[in-house]
Order: sequence, then C-alpha cells, then structure tokens
Amino acid sequence: MPIFHIDGEPVEFEPGEKIISAALRCGKVIPHYCYHPGMSVVATCRMCLVDVIDLGNGRPAPKLQTACSMDAAEGMKIETLNKKVEEGRKLVNEFLLVNHPLDCPICDQSGECALQDYAFEYGSGKSEMDYSKRVSGWRDIGTFVALERNRCIQCSRCDRFTREITGTNEFGMFNRGHELTVDTYADRPMTNKFQGNMADICPVGAITEKEFRFKRRVWKLKKNRSICTGCSTGCNVTIEHDRNEIFRLKPHENQSVNKWWMCDEGRLTYRMMNERKTRIHQPLGRVDGKLEGISWEDAYGAIAERVGDMSPLPQEVLALTDTHASNEELFLLKKLLKDIFSADNIFCPLPTWEQYESDFFINTLITSDKTPNRAGALALKIKGDTKTAKLKKAIEGDLKVVFVLGNPFEAELEVQEKLKRAQLVVHLGLFHNSWSEIADVVLPGQYYSEKEGTYTNKNQRVQATEIAVQALRRTRPEWQILTELSQALGKTGFFTSVPQVFNAMSWEVKAFSGLSYESLGGIGKELTQKAKDTGMKVVRAQT
Amino acid sequence: MLEETLVLFKNIRNPDYDKSLAAYKKSGGYKSLKKVFAMKPEDVVQEVKESGIRGRGGAGFPTGLKWSFMAKGTGKPSYLVANADESEPGTCKDRELMLKDPHLFLEGMLIGCYAIGCHHGYIYVRGEFFPSIKILNDAVDELYVDGLLGPDPLGSGFNLDLTIHTGAGAYICGEESALLDSLEGKRGQPRVKPPFPAVSGFNGCPTSVNNVETLACMPFILSDGGVDAFKSFGPQNNSGTHLVSLSGHVNRPGVYELRMDVNMKDIIYDIGGGILNGKKLKGVIPGGSSSPVMKADEIDVLYNFDDLAKVGTMMGSAAIMVFDEDTDIVKLLHRITRFYAHESCGQCTPCREGTQWSKQIVRDFLSGNGSDEKLKRLDRVGGNMLGTSLCALGDAAAMPIQSFINKFPEDFRKYYATA
Repeated sequence: MPIFHIDGEPVEFEPGEKIISAALRCGKVIPHYCYHPGMSVVATCRMCLVDVIDLGNGRPAPKLQTACSMDAAEGMKIETLNKKVEEGRKLVNEFLLVNHPLDCPICDQSGECALQDYAFEYGSGKSEMDYSKRVSGWRDIGTFVALERNRCIQCSRCDRFTREITGTNEFGMFNRGHELTVDTYADRPMTNKFQGNMADICPVGAITEKEFRFKRRVWKLKKNRSICTGCSTGCNVTIEHDRNEIFRLKPHENQSVNKWWMCDEGRLTYRMMNERKTRIHQPLGRVDGKLEGISWEDAYGAIAERVGDMSPLPQEVLALTDTHASNEELFLLKKLLKDIFSADNIFCPLPTWEQYESDFFINTLITSDKTPNRAGALALKIKGDTKTAKLKKAIEGDLKVVFVLGNPFEAELEVQEKLKRAQLVVHLGLFHNSWSEIADVVLPGQYYSEKEGTYTNKNQRVQATEIAVQALRRTRPEWQILTELSQALGKTGFFTSVPQVFNAMSWEVKAFSGLSYESLGGIGKELTQKAKDTGMKVVRAQT
Repeated sequence: MLEETLVLFKNIRNPDYDKSLAAYKKSGGYKSLKKVFAMKPEDVVQEVKESGIRGRGGAGFPTGLKWSFMAKGTGKPSYLVANADESEPGTCKDRELMLKDPHLFLEGMLIGCYAIGCHHGYIYVRGEFFPSIKILNDAVDELYVDGLLGPDPLGSGFNLDLTIHTGAGAYICGEESALLDSLEGKRGQPRVKPPFPAVSGFNGCPTSVNNVETLACMPFILSDGGVDAFKSFGPQNNSGTHLVSLSGHVNRPGVYELRMDVNMKDIIYDIGGGILNGKKLKGVIPGGSSSPVMKADEIDVLYNFDDLAKVGTMMGSAAIMVFDEDTDIVKLLHRITRFYAHESCGQCTPCREGTQWSKQIVRDFLSGNGSDEKLKRLDRVGGNMLGTSLCALGDAAAMPIQSFINKFPEDFRKYYATA
C-alpha cells in the first residue's frame, strides 16, 4: 500500500482514501463534526483542517485543507498539530460557539459532546460575541428522539442519515445562512425504525434519545461490550450502566454485522434487562404441590435422588430449549443428556424467518426471528418443532425426566399438557411462566447482561458477550447450573469458565471446529462449517 | 476620447437591430456555427484554447482549458450549462446580452455544446430576470422552428436540445456546483471539490459550466481569423474585449464593451463621463461587491485580470462601482455585509456564522456603539472567514470587510469618536 506521512509518522492508505479516514484507521485523531465514515463527505464543519506541507510533489498546499475532503497521495506530508492548524481549529470553534446556547449543565450530550471536548481543547474560554444568540427552538419530531435546535451546529449528519442510510428522506435542512436549521418535512413525525442512530451521530446535544433524557450523566456510565439479543442479527452494542442499572444500549461498530447502526427496537431491550419483578430469585422445589424456595444444594440433591430412583431409559428423557440460550448452554444441555442418560431427545422451536432485502443496508438489520441464537442451535444439531414427528413421538411415550431451558413452545399448550405427566420436570429459566407452573424443580438463570456467553447470528457468526451488571444474588448462569447438575448426576469433570466450555465445544462439535474463545476477539468469527439452510426467507423490505 | 470596441455589442449598438433570428442571421449570425460543424470538436476546443479567453463569470479560468478537462470515455453524457444566474452586485452585462441579442449567446451555446459533445444544454437563468427568460424562450423556439436546434441542424448530424431553467433567487446558485445542485432540484449548496464538474457535475456526468458572456464570445473567436483578432484586443493572458458594468456616482453609467488594455481611470473619467455633480472620487469597487476596494489614488491601472491582481484586488465580473467623497463607507459596508449574511447558504461554519456576526458588528458602528476594539474584532472575524470556507462566498464576504477597514479606517473612527 502507498504511504503518506502524518506528523512525521508513516501512514498506509488505499488509493482514493481521504486523509481523515486513513488517519482514524491508524489511531490518529483529527477533530471533526460533519465527517462520518458511513456517509457522504460534505466538508462543511471545517474542523478537520490540516496543514499540507507537501502535496507529494514537493510543494505545500496554499492554505489549510480539510482532511475529510482531500485524497491522500503518495509522499504527501501533513501536519495536524502545528500552530497554523491550531489557529484554524480555534477560529472554527469560535464560530461554532457564537450561537451555541452553552447549556451543557442541562444537556444530555454533555460529557460525550464533540463540541464540548473541542471547545476545551481549542476554545479561548471567553466569548467576544455580545449580541443575542440565534433561537430556533425545539421541535417534536417523533417518539424516539428529541430535537433541540438551538444546540445544532448544522453538520447535516442527520439530514444525510435519512437520505443516504435509511432512504426515508423525512428529515432535512431548512432556511439558509445564519437561519439554517434542521426539521422534519411538513411537521410530520419521523417514521423510520432507526431514529436512535440520529442521536448517536449527532455530535452535539441537538438530537438526543428520549429514553435516556435526564436519566443519568454520561460520565457516570460504565460500558461493556455485548451484542443485542433482540433478534438474530446480533448487532454489536455497548451496554451502558451505572449502579447495576442499565440505561441504554449504543451500537458498537462492526463492519461485518451492523456497521455503525442498530434499530430502535433493539435499543429498547435494555428495559427488559432491568426487569426484576417477574424474575425467579432463587431455586424453587415443589413441596406438597406448591413451589417453595430451597437452596441450590437441595435442588441438585433432589434432582439427583429422583433420577437415581427412576433410572430412566434414554427414550424416557427429554430436553426442550429455546434459542435464547447461548451456544455453551445448548452444548452443555445436549452433553448432559448424552453423558448422563445416553439420550438425544433435544428439541427447540425453529420456525422459518424472514430476512429483508433492501437497497439500504440498514433495513436488513431487522429480522423476523426475535431470538439471538437460532443458528447456534442449528450448528449443534438441535432440531425440530411441534410439527416434527420425532418430538411428537417422544412426547407420546412415557416420559420420566424433562429438562426445559428458557421458554420454548410457550404457546403449545398441548405439549405442555402432555409433559405435565412426566415424573420430573426441571425448568431452567429467568422468569415465571407456564413452564415454571408445571415444573418440579425450578433453577433460576441469568439474563444476557449478567453472564458471559457466545451467540451465533443469522449469518452464522459467533460473537461473545461480556458481563455488564451484577446478577440477582441467588441466581446462577445457566452454563454453571448445567455443569453443576451433570456433576450432581454423577459426571466427573467440571467446567469453571465459559471459555473452557467454548473450547470444549469447538473440539467436540464439527461446526465450531477451528474456533477458540480467544479468537473471537471483539468482532466475532464465522462458523467454519456453515449450515446451508437456516430457514431464511428473503422478502422485500417495505418502505 | 476612449471608444468602445464592438464585438459582442456589434448588433446591440445598431439602432435598427431587432434581435430576431432573421436580423441576427442578416448580420452574419450562425456563420461561425456552420464553420464549427465542419470542424472536429477537438479542433474547436483547441481554437478556443489558442484564443486565450478567460471565463467572464469572475474567476477568470481559461475556457479552453476547462473544456479540455471534460472527462472522456466515461460512457456518460456530457453537459454544457450556461450560467445566466448573474447576481454579483453591480454586474448587469449578461442581462444586456440576453435582453438585446439572445442569438449571439445561443450561437455561442451551440458552439460550446458541439465542442464538448453535449446533446442537451441547459441555461440556468436567474429567477428575477423575467424579460430575459421570455426573450430566451422565444429565441429558442425560433431556433427549433428554423431547425438549428433539434435533430440534425445544418445537416451536421449533431442532435442538440436546449432547456431553459429558472433559478429561485439565490446568489449562491451562481457558484457552479450550487447551480448544478439547484438544476438537479436539490437545495442550492456548493459541493465539495474535487470532484470538479468536469468529472462529476450535472447528475454525476461530466459538465462544463460557462458564463453567458464567455459563450457569447465564441461566434467571434471561431469566425475566420477570429482567434488572432481576439488576442489582439488585450495584453497577453488577457485577450479579448469584455463587458464592463459601470455604476455608482458617474455621469454615464452603463454596460460598455472595452478592450483589456484600457486604463481604469479612463473608464471612469472618459467613458463614464467623470464623477456625478463634479464631486471628487473617494474609491472604487473594481469587480463586483466581493472584490477589495481601491482608493481614489490607486485607480491608475490597466483594467484586466492580471493588472488588477497585481495591485491586490480583482476584476471579478468586471463591475465597477464608483463612489464619491460624500459616501458613507460604513453604511456601504453595512449594505454589503447584509447582502452576504442574507445570501450565505449556511452549510459551512465560517461563512454561516461569520457573515451574520460581521453584519452585527458593522451595525453596531452605525448605531453609535463602535470602538477600537470592535474595529479590531470586525477585522479578525473577516480574516477568519478568509480562506476557511467551503466555497468562495466566505472569501467574497471577507475581502470587502478587510479592505474597507484597511483603506478607510477614519470613516469607522468617525462614528465612535464623535458619539
């Protein structure tokens, strides 16, 4: 690759690449507002000024150049830190602050605001503007985001977003000159499903998420990488939380999955993560027909005792799971059946799902499969739904032990009715539901945000999540429950961490071969052996 | 006595000329076009290059060079767009041409289209030019009836259509890339360059945007012996005659066609008949409101691109605005800053905020709130706009501010010293 120099350091670039994008890739920060790698270059904020001391032909550029609009060239030398550049940035920042309300104390962007950061870095600290500031006022532009136009610096990112990313064109720039401002057309509220991204890309506090407004100052938030579990796309996110409460999900860049974006529906899944009321707080056992709180040891002991008494045949053991479970949990459940009971009756619902096809990438982020790990279940060869003869046959006969992970077949009352007859129903889950109603032993699991795990998305890409918040005190992650359970049932060998389970899985399961937990890194890795049919039905996105 | 050199105004200065197609043809019109159709397009561009004509819209970029930059072999159509959005304050030359001799301009347009291989030309006319729009439309109709437009004019096998598009009243749409955005039906805002229009212009196709006067020179340049004659009208690199819009405190304001080796002093005192009411000259804005102002003792200079650039100003669109000794400089600057604050498109920071802020500071002087500090601040705000904005409007707004303060500081001080 050809090379140019930024502040004396060599930087590689692809032909036709802009200075700023090559610089950002190499970790060189050039301040900017209007530039966004996912959208067209407008070069209007004028903040990314750099001094080109050699254009590559030995001559300097006559004046400061914007790094976002200038192509890098072989042998080019640019300076980003000299006096001239600093002066240039200083004056641009002064102009931007001339009409900015400086209401940082009540602005939600404060703390992650580009204008604030650069004003600290380049601003003079005093204003020479002694006239009244421009007032454009706030506008109600829809349910998801709030627009406070006084704070706007007219970078036009939001305008370009609806034009180039969602293609919905409902947002635009109005008036001209000093009065230039943003709004929706004809006072209509916005309708696109990705409005939260406008709050993300807004470099100032003009567009903020209504969900997050006035909830918490951003510098108090701690951040953990995770994935969105709202659907099978598995958008990369950061979970932002404070004092064990999750406040928002923000998309994290992953060019192979979600680029920079995520949908509003996915953002709202943070609410479920804070849900406490309907959660199962401790292990429960059925005593005289009623569920009562018991200790973990008692729960495992009771299961082991009952299983020992029954000594069931392989066809008398059944496991049901949903595809909210992580790869490790599915693997361990399958392993438990196989190791302890030599059984293979493990089923999960796998309906066909719809993938949108669209001219705009962002529309393909939403799928109709609202579970995060359908492809993982496929890779682990867990199949079937109520329609398959195998499940029907399995529940026709006499069942002694049934394991239920999560909330599968929740609407299939027939299945639930039949499984009631089983002598031992063990439910691993988070919430009270129809399965916990009929279970003999209930083992409380943990939510995505509380445990580690890997999930396989619709493109069969395996991605890992981090622990973001502390779980309920007397719950345990499902992978731990399953490994402890198999130990209680007489299996030797014990997993102590998710990476250990994952690496065992990649050893034993063909689809995962060649992967290791460490190799997933920040952006995940695709399965080495992909399933050909994932039940996907491609449909045209409605616009 | 200094006299006009009649090339573009040859017909207009003829009192019997009625601007119809018949009259234009009678005076020798569309002969150059016939000659051009017999040439290869590359040769036409070469001749234009040799004539040394520089764009008359303000920037003075060599037209032949511009045409030779047009991307070839892209598989996309090429476009020629005539910039008739004449809106630089003080300029009124294109309007004269369109009102009084539309066919001269249209013949130039046809030649330009042939030279760059454009089969659909656009004329972007300033929205307020209602009579010009009507006259141009009538003239284009005449050409279609005559067969000079449409399929196969003069048996050349070259198809050409012309569309007249009216602007919506924005000064910025005179900037070529903003003009193209407006023509495409978008907000008129300057684009990032590169890519230049010659590579990606109207609808992403190679496009050349040329001023009306530039195109009107083409019939003469491409007539027999036109190149040499054209070159003889001025010093090197400043060839041809050009239209000078003379306005302000002179006895005979108007549009005059002059050679490029004429002294500006003679333009004002000879052609313009001296200062109105026998007063003394205070200063001159030599090339439209964007150009730096000149003081009375600086005007002894040849009026062309290079000589004006040498003394630190510019010829721009060749609009001389003269003001006498009683002119209030601060009020004049206030008028100019108001114009730019109103006309800034607002997309880029220095221009959006700077034009408004400088207007407010100048207004402070008028209301008696001036001070040394504010004068310094005005100079600084103007300077900060210079060279930092996306298009030339920021520079255009900054140059008068700085030059007014620089050349007439006493006029500003007068406002707050007495108050």
